[in-house]
Amino acid sequence: MNGISGPVIEARGLVRRYPGEPAPVRAVDGVDLVVEPGEAVSVMGPSGCGKSTLLHLLGGLDRPDEGEIFLGGQQVDGLSETEWAVLRRRMVGFVFQAFHLVDELTALENVELPALLAGTGRRTARRQAMELLDRLGVGARAGHLPDRLSGGERQRVAVARAVINEPLVVLADEPTGNLDSHATGEILGLFSDLGSAGQTLLIVTHDARVAATADRLLTMRDGAIVAQTRLGAGVPANALADLLDLGGA
Amino acid sequence: MKDAILALLAKEPAHGYELRARLAAALGPAGGALNPGQVYVTLSRLERSGLVRSETVGQASQPDKKVYELTPDGRDQVETWLSDVSWSKVAPVEFHLKLVAAALTRLADPVALVDGQRLELLRQLHELQELAQDEPAGSEGGLLIEGAALRLQADIRWLEACEQLWLEKGPG
Amino acid sequence: MIRSASLALRLAQRNLRRRPWQALLLLVTLTIATGTMGLAMSVYGSADGAWNRVWRATDGFHVSFGAYHSPDDPGDATLVADLRQRAVALASSPEVVAVGGPWTHLYGQLAVPGGSEDLTAEVREPGRSPVDQPRVTDGQWLGNGDGVVLEAGLADTLDLGAGDTVTINGRPFPVRGVAMTVSRGLFPLSRPAQVWVTPDTAAELRDVGLTEEGFELQLRLDDPDDAAAFLSAHPEVTEVPADTSVVAFTETWQGRRAASHSDLDIVAGTLGAAAILLALLATTTAAVLVVDRMAAQTRQVGTLKAVGVTPRQVVAALLSEHLAVAAVAVALGLAIGRLFGPRLAASSVTLLGDTETPPLTLGRVGLVAAVAVVAVVLGTVRPAVRGIRHSTVRALSSGPRPPRHPGRLARLLQAAGLPLPAVLGLRSAWRRPSRLLTNGISLTLGVAMVVVAMGLKPSLGLLHSAPAEPGEAASAGGIDPLYAQVRTIVLVTAGLLLVLATINALIVAAFAARDSARNHAVLRSVGATPRQTTTALIVSQLGASALAVALGIPLGLGLWELMDGGDLPEVPVPAANLILLALAVPVVFAGIVAVPAWRQARRPVAPVLAQD
Repeated sequence: MNGISGPVIEARGLVRRYPGEPAPVRAVDGVDLVVEPGEAVSVMGPSGCGKSTLLHLLGGLDRPDEGEIFLGGQQVDGLSETEWAVLRRRMVGFVFQAFHLVDELTALENVELPALLAGTGRRTARRQAMELLDRLGVGARAGHLPDRLSGGERQRVAVARAVINEPLVVLADEPTGNLDSHATGEILGLFSDLGSAGQTLLIVTHDARVAATADRLLTMRDGAIVAQTRLGAGVPANALADLLDLGGA
Repeated sequence: MKDAILALLAKEPAHGYELRARLAAALGPAGGALNPGQVYVTLSRLERSGLVRSETVGQASQPDKKVYELTPDGRDQVETWLSDVSWSKVAPVEFHLKLVAAALTRLADPVALVDGQRLELLRQLHELQELAQDEPAGSEGGLLIEGAALRLQADIRWLEACEQLWLEKGPG
Repeated sequence: MIRSASLALRLAQRNLRRRPWQALLLLVTLTIATGTMGLAMSVYGSADGAWNRVWRATDGFHVSFGAYHSPDDPGDATLVADLRQRAVALASSPEVVAVGGPWTHLYGQLAVPGGSEDLTAEVREPGRSPVDQPRVTDGQWLGNGDGVVLEAGLADTLDLGAGDTVTINGRPFPVRGVAMTVSRGLFPLSRPAQVWVTPDTAAELRDVGLTEEGFELQLRLDDPDDAAAFLSAHPEVTEVPADTSVVAFTETWQGRRAASHSDLDIVAGTLGAAAILLALLATTTAAVLVVDRMAAQTRQVGTLKAVGVTPRQVVAALLSEHLAVAAVAVALGLAIGRLFGPRLAASSVTLLGDTETPPLTLGRVGLVAAVAVVAVVLGTVRPAVRGIRHSTVRALSSGPRPPRHPGRLARLLQAAGLPLPAVLGLRSAWRRPSRLLTNGISLTLGVAMVVVAMGLKPSLGLLHSAPAEPGEAASAGGIDPLYAQVRTIVLVTAGLLLVLATINALIVAAFAARDSARNHAVLRSVGATPRQTTTALIVSQLGASALAVALGIPLGLGLWELMDGGDLPEVPVPAANLILLALAVPVVFAGIVAVPAWRQARRPVAPVLAQD
């Protein structure tokens, strides 16, 4: 991963408003946020709480009305579309609920795209993409177009695409939202592996199992972060026995 | 636990150590949390109830060991247990009452209780998932973890619904 | 049945309200077509009213009979005399209530500025004629005394009136008066020039060399509507041996009226042809709208199918929506016709009076309506039916074809050094052949229009500079208004075609950009800059514009041949211009495509992705 010191993401006072009656709706209402390198952070909250909007703001897919965002120490909230695009190549990988693969490109072509855009040579990019696809278990489908892939396969391709440039952070927006429970399990494992390998993750989700893969959990409500919890606090073994009702009888 | 041990003896007689090993294998990663002494305590209880009988077998170069086997009553019990479809712990009655009581007595805020419980369950889910990470895919033991995780997920979802309702109810 | 009709109506109503811009766009393109046809309908026959008035006022003929022999060949005198007998015999038929003539026609040359014009002098007994007594507009009719009476168009063209002098075969003759008749069209559209003379003046004319070239006899029947029947009952009247140069012919009053306003007919015909071309363009507009609608509202279509609405009903809803727009376009078109038609027709050089907008017969309304309805039906039904049969969005927009040789082409291109956006664009075009085809064909019509427009302008010049035949001087006064008028029409048509071709290109471009919006948003989310996605789109459309050029230029030339009708000389579209066009179209279209693409690319990514 990119070796940087200091937080990967830092956001201060983020606000995003939408027009509405009788007053504009504050989708994101004054959010402060810090994500350290190697952290896996999940954001949970009821639908409409603004978690997806927050993610879009952090990745430059949407613009904040107020506030500042720093990625890897660089201030990014005022960048133009072109500057954001260039930045995203090396800094941000996205995983979307709807997968959002380019439907005219094969899985392999989708995955190598960020590498090519970042200037990697085409042979190297192709090799890296193929390796990633193999590692994620979809190597056999590399030459297929997205509409021939199952949901789980598509999302795995999307994850491969997100990480090929070893970005600063992977931003995932409801990555298991369109998946059945089996595929969800696969993606859960993927994200766990990514986290173990040191990739910084920010995952927005309403699925408790996805949220629980993270080290830190942020709870959002009505556009603001209302709680922050450390998840990996270390639970003693006999508590586990209670959990599984293994005692007695 | 006692029904499971009975059932494990249905195949063939075994001594305590083997039973413990079989049980641990079945529980997978959770097997580590199993109290070693528990198996022996359960076995002696079963013996007293007449569902199991033991025999001491002499061995050549090792100390004698006790071998356990099912009695006919024990066999009946196993069959009954296997065809029983009752399910444990369907409704979280206790917690539900806790919330109602808190709202009535104003001793605590129901929403805060829900939030706290939810975060605790999430922590537990996190732990389970860490455990499951090392399990090979498709292992029997992994299935147990999966069951627990899904139930936790269901409970967390229910807690989110509780939060919604109790928030709407407002204070008092 | 009623339930499904009302459902279709409700759907149509809701869709119209939700997407007013698309309905408006369709309305504009359709109205341009119906308006043009409406104008054509208003212009065609708008001179009839005035003609009828003059016809009644001058006791115009019902049937006429004439015979001509060439001036250099008086040898067929016997035949001509025989024909004269037959004509007079005709006059004694029971249906005939009045006879005019037979009047002798003398042939000579009239001096005009710039040369001379062929002249016919009709010899009339002084006094009132029971058939075709021309209406005097200046001076007086023939009577005691010498002088000629000029036909009104001739007098207008030469700017002469009573008291002036004309020179016929070198000798001056005083102008006694000017009169209007329906027996001829107005000079100069109708040639040769005509004057009326008394027998005495005729003798003088013979002195200076005018020769007898024929005669004319006119009859009035007790029922004017019997004119055609009367003529078909007496075919022997015009029978002549095959080898002679004598020509005998008959005419009904309706036929004369129809032939008297060729400039208006040209105008109406041009407008009509233009309307058809414009309607074809409207068809592509409707088709593109349908495809876009289907793609955007698949959810709706899917839901509808799920609740048991049949594909037929969905098509019916779409169709009724577009037909409603068409109905408004027809009404507007007819209104445009009635408003502007008179103004257009008034500049005709063949008018015998004020124009009268012809009444709205079923046929005329029908033609205007047909233009709009056919365009809408053609443009709506087929794409809609195809769109509904496939149930997923990707199938609707014809999902991408899987690559047969994964990446080989792209690798070749990349190896060739093409930048990534270009490779992406080419891949996009290559893997969606039906999209390329659709866009290409939509553009083809536009290109064909441009080719036709290119042919119109130079052909005008040719018309104007066509060498005058001997005996027809290019009299400045008469010819230019005609050419000016035709020229205006032709140039306006050419301009309209160009404008519509541009609109067509804009529509195709806008929808191409909209189509690719999602993919380009995804591209931007992985780091493609707005410039790169715009380039990709432009490249992907190159195939479509190349196809449009390849098909459109031959189509345009073919259309030109059709419209030409043999009257105009060879297609004057030089090959160099066509090559320029072939190169310009992709460039211009790339520019047009770039605009919506760029605008889209500069907006934040999130909203576009959220629409999925």
